[in-house]
Formats: sequence, C-alpha cells, structure tokens
Amino acid sequence: MTDQSGTGESLYRKEPKIYPRQVKGRFARLRVIAVWVLLGLFYLIPWIEIGGKQSVLFDLPARKFYILGMTFWPQDFVYLALLMITAGLSLFFFTALAGRLWCGFACPQTVWTEVFIWVEQWIEGDRPKRIKLDKSPWNANKILRKSTKQALWILLSAWTGFTFVGFFSPIRELGAGIMSFSLGPWETFWTIFYGFATYGNAGFLREQVCKYMCPYARFQSAMFDKDTLIISYDTARGEPRGGRRKTDDLKEKGLGECINCTLCVQVCPTGIDIRDGLQYECIACAACIDVCDQVMDKMDYPRGLVRYTTEHALKHNEGHVIRPRIMVYGLLLLVIISGTLWGMTHRVPLRADLIRDRNALYRELPGDLIENVYTLKITNMDDSPHQYDMTVLNNDEVEIDLSRPLVLQAEEVAGISVRLRIPKSAGQGVQALEIEFQAQDDPSIKKQVTAKALMPIEFGN
Amino acid sequence: MNSEPRKLPGRWSRRKRDIGTVVWISFLAACAGTFVIFAILDPDALNDAWVLPWEMGRRLAYSLGFLFLFVVSLIASGLTVFMIRTGPDRGHASGEGRRPPPEIRSPEEDNPDLDLGDWK
Repeated sequence: MTDQSGTGESLYRKEPKIYPRQVKGRFARLRVIAVWVLLGLFYLIPWIEIGGKQSVLFDLPARKFYILGMTFWPQDFVYLALLMITAGLSLFFFTALAGRLWCGFACPQTVWTEVFIWVEQWIEGDRPKRIKLDKSPWNANKILRKSTKQALWILLSAWTGFTFVGFFSPIRELGAGIMSFSLGPWETFWTIFYGFATYGNAGFLREQVCKYMCPYARFQSAMFDKDTLIISYDTARGEPRGGRRKTDDLKEKGLGECINCTLCVQVCPTGIDIRDGLQYECIACAACIDVCDQVMDKMDYPRGLVRYTTEHALKHNEGHVIRPRIMVYGLLLLVIISGTLWGMTHRVPLRADLIRDRNALYRELPGDLIENVYTLKITNMDDSPHQYDMTVLNNDEVEIDLSRPLVLQAEEVAGISVRLRIPKSAGQGVQALEIEFQAQDDPSIKKQVTAKALMPIEFGN
Repeated sequence: MNSEPRKLPGRWSRRKRDIGTVVWISFLAACAGTFVIFAILDPDALNDAWVLPWEMGRRLAYSLGFLFLFVVSLIASGLTVFMIRTGPDRGHASGEGRRPPPEIRSPEEDNPDLDLGDWK
C-alpha cells in the first residue's frame, strides 16, 4: 500500500497537529450529555453514601467490594466474570448495530479528551485562534493563556486521580488526608499516577491513543457487516465536489452536492477526511455529520450528505438494521443481564463449608458412636448479626458438638471446630451427611452443605 | 507491508515466525513468573483464604498458576504482534508509504455564499 504517486509530500514532513474545530448539532449535544452523565457519575458517586457506607468502594485490603448497598466477597467472583462477559457482549452488540458508538460517546479517552478540549477552547478560542496563537511568538498573552490552560488541565487531572483513588480508599478520609498533608505513600503514588495518566492521555496523546494504541480499533472490522450503521459520505450524491454559488445550476456545472468546504476535516478529532471512505482512525464521533448538516442547511440542500447509514443502504438503497446477528446478540445480552441481576438480588448472605480434619480418621466412642472432626468455615455476608441453627437433614440421630455458638456478627468470618457423633447404624465407609444452616430470625437465609463422614468398615459380617 | 520477494525453501513465513516467537516468549515469561510467584506464595495459603469451595493440592495449584500465566502472556504477546503488524501505514516516523494529510482550506474560499456566522 505504498503511495507511489508521491503527491508532493516530503517524507520528512512533520505530522500536522490536529486542532479540532468546535461543532454544534445533534450529535455534539449527545456527546455533551454523555460527558456530563459519565463524568458526573464518576466524580460524584464516591461522595454518595448508602446505608452509612460509601456507595461504591472497592476495599482491597478487606477484600470486599461495596456497590450500591450490596457487599461483594471474593467468593462472588462469578459476578465479576458475568460483568466482563456482559461488557464484551455489549461491545459486540453495539458495534454490530452502529459501529464505534463506544469510541465516539462513552470511551474514557474520548470523554476526558472532550473536557480537555473544552478547557482549551475556553482559554485559547476556537480552531483558527488556536492555530494563530501557536504560531505567534511568546508574548504576555500567549504565556498567560498557555499557563492558564495548563494549570486548569493539571487541576482537572489531579482531581481525577484523587477521585479514582477514592473508589479504593474511602474518599472522605482521603480528602481529609490531603487537606492535612497526611496521605499514605500508596494513596499519594496512585493519585499522582492517575492524575498523570489523565493529563497524558487527554491533554497530550489524544487521538494517537485511538490510532496507534487501541486494539478495539483494529478488531472492530471483524464485528462489522454490511448492515452496520456507519458514518458515511454519500459519494454518489456529493461527487464531483467543488466550490459554487448558491444560485449555480449543479447539472450545468457538473457538480455534486459537496461544496468542498473541508469543514468535515476541520472538525475531525483524528484529522481524517470522511469523504475518503471508512477509515480505522474514525472514532464515529459524528462531528462531520453535524457540521455538514449545517452547511447543507445554509446551501439549501437536503441534509445527510454525511450521515449514519449502512453499506447496503448506500449501494443498493436497501438494508435492514435489525437482523439475526443483532437479535442473537441482543437476546444473549438480555439473558445474561437479567440472570446476573436475579442472581445478585437473590443471593443468600450465608456461606458455609465443612472441611474434614485432614489428619484424623475417626474415633470410636462408647455407645456405638463414631466421631468425625471438621472445621466449619462460615461467613455471615449480611450487614446484620444472625444466629444460626445447624441440623443434619438425613440422619436425626447425629449429635452435633460445636466449639462455640453459631452467632455471627455482621460480615463476620468464623472458623469453628465441629464434632459429629454418628451412630454406627448410619453405615460403613464414607457416608454423606446433608447439613443445613438456617438463620433463626430469617428462615430464607439458609445453606445446605454435604459433609463426608468416615465410618469403620467391619469385615466378616 | 513489505511482502517477501520470493519464498525460500525451508525458511519460515512471517506468520509462522510470529507465532513461534509469541509462543516461546510467553512460555519463558510464564515459567519465570510461576517460579517467582510460588517461591513466595504457598498454594496451601490459598486454601486457608477459602475462596474456592474445594481444597486444591499444591501440584494442581502450580499447574493452574503456570497455565494462567502462560495464557495471560500469550494474550499480551499475541496482541502486541497483532497491533504492530496491523499498524497504520500512515504516520510512521519514517514516513514511508504515508498518504498526505487531508487538504484543509478556508470554507468560504470557493463558496462565497456560505455564511459561517458565529462559528467562523
């Protein structure tokens, strides 16, 4: 794919810096909403408390995740796996449906870059002013504007790093720690680290991340098909492009409807020309649609020279967005999400395992009883204390001897020594005992486990 | 992409070399990782942490640990090769095979009737 024609470009020319022009319109508004909602959630959530606990807190040292009033334990790993499957499947679903929606509206790279560009536009002005400022010599105005922008960027980055760490370490204590300069070394390190990453990605790297570093950009073509909604330039309608007066007769002049104003290139955050067709650099931000629609309005042409459409629709004027692939992805997504939600809301906040003492076989006691020793590992995953009953379901003659009563505080993990005395009549060899634990104050909190008991084998009978 | 001029008998194709390198390097990385992790961590401690509902023997823990690291390394190396091989032909520092950047002009230049108004 070497460009042999050599269109006059020097091989050693610097890659031009991209100054995206500000754009207004339907999709720009959508992105503003997405930015406010997503960043609003990110910055606010750690400050909200539910039931006296931070609404979202990943307490790594305690190995517990608090999410919206629910507590997740390491044993709830399955929900994390389900969450990741859901995320992956959603990406497939939305990519097959409408291309890189994620990139244009929800990716943190886009969202933070957008905010950084807002700051830039606010301080330095829109595209032409920024280009002019960069070209101008360093004078008081340039120094003031550049340093104000940098200061705001650094402030925003620092706040982002702080908030991020606030998801892992209670944010109110963290804030107090910063105020009194008594932050621990790890918190300090991660705050600076994430602040730095935000600054680097959103202020400095920007579209380079999408172009060179993001694997999704390379994979997306595998998730596309000819009915995927993509942002396309209507070549048949637009070409041949060229400048004109509003009153010009297009047929007479042999022109299409593209007036070649290059505004679609100027608004593009990755600096491509959408008229060259679908390119992997395109993050589907739809800025070109917005700006082209405005130009079409001003020229009194119908909108949609650049629009969301499918390859099928463009070529054959047909196409169906709802297709088996979409339905299968959608159905799978629905099943997994509802299953996860059902599982999460129907979790039994009790976990118990009976682990047989590895070193002992069994002990014969007077009265034809056989004693097996276990360690009961029991966790009260609820946020209130409970007392539990322990019963052997399939043998009511078994005596249970506990080293301490089965009373557990909220979120308590206990290891309790259990002796089960089983009558010889229960059988020989390995016997399975079905044991149930049930909270006394809430019968719905119950858990069944199977305990393996060793019994003497008597020969010659 | 530089296509190889002709196939030499006995020489590996680029893809074959890529796969071979990825697998071998991942294996080495996983070996080193397993060695370090289990020198510090006793798998029996995992049983005491009581995350799994069953007791895992040391041997199984070592094997699973190695396989896990191997898979993670394979994913990392494989993706790296993929990203490098499918990288953009435009914008490399060397400039080889670069397309010129899209042309940008003043919108009103050839379109005197286009009134940009407040977003001029």
